[in-house]
Amino acid sequence: MQAVVLKGYNNGYELILEPTASFTEIKVELSNLMEKLHNDETADRTKKYSFNINTGMILYTAEQKQALENIFANYPRFSIHKIQSSVIEKQEAQEIVDSTTVHVNGDIIRNGQDKLVQGDLLFLGTLHEGGILRATGSIFVLGTANGVLCAGHENNTSAVLAGNLKNAQQLRIADLVDIVNEDKKISETDQMSALFVNDLHALALTRIEQLKTTRPKLFIKAGGF
Amino acid sequence: MGKAVVITSGKGGVGKTTTSANLGTALALMDKKVCLVDLDIGLRNLDVVLGLDNRIIYDIVDVAEGRAKLPQALIKDKRFNDKLFLLPAAQNAEKTSLTPDQAIEIVEELKSEFDYVFLDCPAGIEQGFMNAVAGADEAIVVSTPEISAVRDADRVVGLLEQQDLDKPPMLVINRIRKNMMNEGNMMDVDEITRHLSIELLGIVFDEDEVIATSNKGEPIVLYEKNPAAQGYRDIARRMEGETVPLMSLKEPKKSGFFQKIGAWFKKDK
Repeated sequence: MQAVVLKGYNNGYELILEPTASFTEIKVELSNLMEKLHNDETADRTKKYSFNINTGMILYTAEQKQALENIFANYPRFSIHKIQSSVIEKQEAQEIVDSTTVHVNGDIIRNGQDKLVQGDLLFLGTLHEGGILRATGSIFVLGTANGVLCAGHENNTSAVLAGNLKNAQQLRIADLVDIVNEDKKISETDQMSALFVNDLHALALTRIEQLKTTRPKLFIKAGGF
Repeated sequence: MGKAVVITSGKGGVGKTTTSANLGTALALMDKKVCLVDLDIGLRNLDVVLGLDNRIIYDIVDVAEGRAKLPQALIKDKRFNDKLFLLPAAQNAEKTSLTPDQAIEIVEELKSEFDYVFLDCPAGIEQGFMNAVAGADEAIVVSTPEISAVRDADRVVGLLEQQDLDKPPMLVINRIRKNMMNEGNMMDVDEITRHLSIELLGIVFDEDEVIATSNKGEPIVLYEKNPAAQGYRDIARRMEGETVPLMSLKEPKKSGFFQKIGAWFKKDK
């Protein structure tokens, strides 16, 4: 059984590294294959080739990737386009799941506490004055928010804040901050309102019904229609 | 095996030490064996409030560092039939001279001897707070009806919830002025309790005698008729599992001779 298989496609070449083969075996076969390709008389000597490497069900370590790069370094006409695998680490998978689900939280966040949630958040708890609630995605407030709400933590400007926002101390989305008491617009709104970052990169307030037109993607992700 | 209760507040001057001294005394009067531990190293004053300051020979840092055995450092309050003891804080030691591990060791030893071990916490949330909380099974958070005290209490409750306590912290609202609360100039008891969302253990009214008696080294609970004393006694009874209704915030109607006459005139209007 071959440890390294070369396949050609319309859009390039793929090297499949057999997951059941040992890495030493792969290195030997890959070197032989490269040598053979390099010495191939029929090929166009001036053309450069870039390969996609597919490792199948195995995740390669940085050292292993480096070892592959070293083999390619001997042949200036050949290079690695990217090394991909059909699997990912559990932690990475969890991060993907976290960032795409709407988390439901019912905690009390007290003065001085700082809570960060990955992804979107449906907040049913109580946020006290002096507490900070952050989410990398949007925050939908159904509970009580008297502290600092911070959506799109670390520069996600597509995030929104929605719900009863008028009792909060501060509203932040990405790098923008709004101090609620100083901005009459928010404290004079009805119970429910939504805050988003507009095209001019400023915080804008809107009615909650308007969110569907301002941020349609939100509804696809949250399981809406 | 008794239980260790930390008395804390975050903010200074809300009455942690007064509460420690009075709850300890009230429970001692109910025939419980109580030890009060002062953890405010460098600024001890639980001993002064109890009138035991002249009897200190060894302190908690001496015990922690092995210069004295625990029973040597304990001061007995002779007024309460061997029921109330004090472990004083060090006066001339660094704040950091006691570690949480040492505090736990001392508290564990005390718990085997006493029904209640009260840990009087210093203000703030630094090492002194950590020492006090480390050995505690339960926590009492003292607050006054002021926004600053309530905000700090909220912070402290948050920190206490992260600790591995046997039950959630309980609240004592101290220094309540009936007239101000009834006029709406002071935060309401219900409002504070709801805001902090922890169990209300009791309320204590602001009485001039609290300061007057503690200046004499006598806890206010010794003066049974005083409303503040009653507040502390109620708290002690609740800690013992009794169901005691909360004291009324209504001010007693004055019924002197002139008030009666005044009332007739009001009726005429």
